[in-house]
Amino acid sequence: MAASLTISRFLLPAALSFPTTTIKLSPKSLSSRLSISPLSLNLHRRPSKPISFSTKTTQISATISVGYKLPDATLSFFDSDGELQTTTISSLTAGKKAILFAVPGAFTPTCSQKHLPGFVEKSAELKAKGVDIIACVSVNDAFVMRAWKENLGINDEVLLLSDGNGEFTKKIGCELDLSDKPVGLGVRSRRYALLAENGVVKVLNLEEGGAFTFSGAEDILKVL
Amino acid sequence: MACIAVGDTIPDCTLSYADEADQILNVSVHSLAAGKQVILYGVPGAFTSTCSLKQVPGFIEKEEELKSKGISEIFLISVNDLYVMKAWAKSYPENKHVKFFSDSSATYIKTIGLELDVSDRFALLIDDLEVKVAKVESGGQFKVSSAEDMLKAL
Repeated sequence: MAASLTISRFLLPAALSFPTTTIKLSPKSLSSRLSISPLSLNLHRRPSKPISFSTKTTQISATISVGYKLPDATLSFFDSDGELQTTTISSLTAGKKAILFAVPGAFTPTCSQKHLPGFVEKSAELKAKGVDIIACVSVNDAFVMRAWKENLGINDEVLLLSDGNGEFTKKIGCELDLSDKPVGLGVRSRRYALLAENGVVKVLNLEEGGAFTFSGAEDILKVL
Repeated sequence: MACIAVGDTIPDCTLSYADEADQILNVSVHSLAAGKQVILYGVPGAFTSTCSLKQVPGFIEKEEELKSKGISEIFLISVNDLYVMKAWAKSYPENKHVKFFSDSSATYIKTIGLELDVSDRFALLIDDLEVKVAKVESGGQFKVSSAEDMLKAL
């Protein structure tokens, strides 16, 4: 609570005025304007403490934004020989133009069955415009990511990476807490698509929760 | 958590699955198992190698034989969300009777004291809610929890 009281003194009241005890971390209430708050904290040289909004103990760390250097994290995947491999955000993005997009869950209906195939379909076009890597990140284990990749007949157009413990997702402040839903998804990632050059975010299309409105392949293509 | 054993009554819990229309359906274990002989088996994860390549196909292959010996239901649970369980179930088009349930927070698995490491698995034969046979394996073994082992126990 102390952290939220501190924030209310420094944030522009018009931008963020809400009763802190009643805000729940649900997709609909998490406005994109909330991403302003950590920057405000930085401008006032406050330490970027996690802010507690929800009556559950969900916390938000600073959310990524344009200009942000992606934090390093380890992600895993099965290679074509069926061997479990790991890679890091830094090795994926250093010196490259990389697209990272995230879905709330492998095999989840409609949105995820469109979001990933959309990037697969546009992968050649994206790569022709200078993109070196296209990777899909989800808070699922590597077995499930592999099965999903096979289910959709994907080869190497898009890398399917497991952020199994949500490490990367937490570091960039993009957690989506679906624990109160009966579907059993727990804490996953918000949907997003970003373009990073040498690890620095140049384009960020971060959805509220799992909505699918502007984080598709076409949306990234338009800005390349 | 004490591990469930022969003679115990299985606890009740709600498990979920997604139907063809992606509707979420919740079922109570007791409502499915009361008054019947059922097999409940647990695997560490959907699409993991041993589960997918050996254990699950084994239960599907033997499902008719198990049914002919009085088994009314065969349930498979895993700590995965229900969309993943549904996709996994679909990857076995020959399956007719095995029901794939999601225990995504491991609630039921913890209740019966059978939290699974990545290489554990179990199979329980339950008669009118009472555990008659309990086969638990760990360390990546797949020796006593197959369909054949359950058939022998009947």
